[in-house]
Amino acid sequence: MANTAKQVIQTDILCVGAGVASLATALALLRGLKAQGRPLPRVTVVEKGRSVGSHVLSGAVIDPSGFDGLLTEEEIAKMPIEARVSSEAFHMLFDATRAMRIPWVPPMMQAHGYPVGSLTKLTQYLAQLCEREGAEVYTGFAAVELVEDAKGRVIGVRTGDKGVDREGRAKSNFTPGEEIHAKAVVLGEGACGILTDRLIAAKKLQGRREQSYAIGIKEVVEVPADEARVGEIAHTFGYPSDWSTYGGGFVYHVSPTQVMICFAYALDYAHPEKDPHTLFRQFKAHPVMAAHIQGGKSVAYGAKVIPEGGYYSVPQVVADGALIVGDGAGLVDTLRIKGVHIAMQSGRAAAATLAECLAKNDFSLAALRAYGDRLRQTEGWKQLKRVKNVRAPFSTNLVLGVMSAGCAWATHGALPFWPVPLESDHEALLPLKGGRLPPAPRVEAGPTSPDRLTDVFMSGTIHDEDQPCHLKIKDRKACDACIVRYGAPCQRFCPAEVYRLEEGHIHVDFSNCLHCKTCQIKDPYQNIEWTFPQGGDGPRYTRM
Amino acid sequence: MHIIVCVKQVPDTTNVRINPETNTLMREGVESIMNPFDEYALEEALRLKDAHGARVTVITMGPPQADVVLREAMARGADDGVLLTDRAFAGADTLATSYAIAQAIRKLTSRADLILFGKQAIDGDTAQVGPGVSEFLNCALVTYVKSICVEGDRFTVETQMDEGVDVIEGRLPAVMTVVKEAAVPRFASLSGWMAAKKAAIPRWGAQDVGAAPEACGLNGSPTKVVKIFAPPVKTGGTRMDGREEPSAAVEQILKLLHEKGVA
Repeated sequence: MANTAKQVIQTDILCVGAGVASLATALALLRGLKAQGRPLPRVTVVEKGRSVGSHVLSGAVIDPSGFDGLLTEEEIAKMPIEARVSSEAFHMLFDATRAMRIPWVPPMMQAHGYPVGSLTKLTQYLAQLCEREGAEVYTGFAAVELVEDAKGRVIGVRTGDKGVDREGRAKSNFTPGEEIHAKAVVLGEGACGILTDRLIAAKKLQGRREQSYAIGIKEVVEVPADEARVGEIAHTFGYPSDWSTYGGGFVYHVSPTQVMICFAYALDYAHPEKDPHTLFRQFKAHPVMAAHIQGGKSVAYGAKVIPEGGYYSVPQVVADGALIVGDGAGLVDTLRIKGVHIAMQSGRAAAATLAECLAKNDFSLAALRAYGDRLRQTEGWKQLKRVKNVRAPFSTNLVLGVMSAGCAWATHGALPFWPVPLESDHEALLPLKGGRLPPAPRVEAGPTSPDRLTDVFMSGTIHDEDQPCHLKIKDRKACDACIVRYGAPCQRFCPAEVYRLEEGHIHVDFSNCLHCKTCQIKDPYQNIEWTFPQGGDGPRYTRM
Repeated sequence: MHIIVCVKQVPDTTNVRINPETNTLMREGVESIMNPFDEYALEEALRLKDAHGARVTVITMGPPQADVVLREAMARGADDGVLLTDRAFAGADTLATSYAIAQAIRKLTSRADLILFGKQAIDGDTAQVGPGVSEFLNCALVTYVKSICVEGDRFTVETQMDEGVDVIEGRLPAVMTVVKEAAVPRFASLSGWMAAKKAAIPRWGAQDVGAAPEACGLNGSPTKVVKIFAPPVKTGGTRMDGREEPSAAVEQILKLLHEKGVA
């Protein structure tokens, strides 16, 4: 629809997405300038979720190094996180019933004393701190397009129109999107950010290796109160993942009555009949996991992709006019699957750079580039480098993966010294003719094993159904080919039952969408384009 | 024309759970939103403003953080807002709430042309505060309004009744409660939110509005909650799976209905 934006809104620093990386940027920038007694810029944050945190999903056992020096002791104490890790376990799951507890927790996995809780809540808390410092946070507004000047410099974003019907016509409540211009745009969209990826492609900012992802599926389970288990965490490896797919899970007791349980599965899996949601249910039914959630009831659900490519997949993080922070830049330690602290460190590196730019009133590409140098000096970056080759060998074989991870860890990333290649996620899928999967062990529906649609309900996701479908199928003919060759894997890889095969036709129930982006990544024909639905639509996570 | 819209901040009840021991709402993970029916009342006010020009004032009573619903209304186009907040108002039932709001409206203006409410709030579901305010202000009342037409000091409204639509004419000022069959609420624009975030919103307490202490809050509330209980849990009923053979499922349902004497 033609955009009839009125006047352009001017701000100084514009952050896209109200996740931890963006908010750390805003907070560090405003606090840093305030401490130096310098004038404060206008800092604007736009977020597509209805509220801050409603599209945020993480474990989360948080490496607290991201907070050091940014939050005061008092603020850290007041974080809406009830538990600290008190006991850790690491299990290898062999099959549906057998497991072995690794007698020691690998050093890189150790997290004793780390805060463990909901990243949704932590994000809301950070947003409050940001607003107290003068940042403006606007939720329910999706930045759908980067605005560039004639020279190709990013100068702002355009927000999406609201009140458009399914045919693209204006409804009675049509509200045109608006343009916001800024001296610098900070892209903190999170994993598989749409504007970020467009910018990376357009400006050729790709890293040495394409980004690889895993899908993380998570539930919050309410259990009978047990004070003694608060802070207990366990990580697993192996079942229900196969030997050549990087996958694992965790269970965190974040309060006497709440357990977070999650299974992550690398999206370079090969068999088109694999179904991450079913794997998640098998995972929860494993005796080792079931013991953690016994007598409980699942009350919240969500899913999101996790960038796993690591060091070699990190793009150049600076473009003319724009900085990329957090998961959108793939800043996740792929061995520990931890990114919150690196996201915050990247945000703080961006803030230090922006403070400098403000002082000199120089936002040129050369000045912004200092962010990349700063990022490379952070602890988080050093961790990324140390595990730079950890992820790839797991796609060949679990044993090889474990050995190479140990090797990389022991040699501080020196070995293997070459970038181990990794197939792109969508190309890894093999045609169905390779053979059907043996029937999976059936998991009965129950309070801690809801079916997919019950889970979707608990995510709170909702989209105005009278709007254009935001999941664009580019070519229906490719769907026909895919149905024959791969058996329409979209029905299975989507954790929200958005795609249904009925009478040879793929139906797209976009209202179920969790904004996880799995479809765009895993579709073997790259035939699905994820575009932005109306701002404010999507999941409504409150304690993910 | 001066239109006053009374709005309430309520818990979002789309995914509410009840604590089985205390039978009270579990607030954890429940967001606060503008009462959805109030959005329709606001939209009617803003449409009148668009058509005739009007000042639209939003009022809410609640804790200090309830100012966000006023800002949301202002982001959509309301001109100003008033937050009634005071410990003295705490524990108010619908009578004491109506009294406090009526006092605030009296303080705000000697001549409000229209005072709009949502049909009811989705938390208490009483539908009493709108009518209560009309009593305190001794002002005409129309409930279940779905459209409003104003010409001079006369109004014509359509009201949504169970058996159809009534058309009612009358003279301003009037209090009206609005149903969701009214016009679809508009969105707040980003620039609207930017302006609303900065707006100064006066906070009035019981003294500011000249409310008698004995008529406020718990003291002024004759309603007493004697007991809270959860309705008995309904059994799941019978499910027919028609995905494999829809016609067989339909036959089964028909058979069942015959047996029950329904069809």
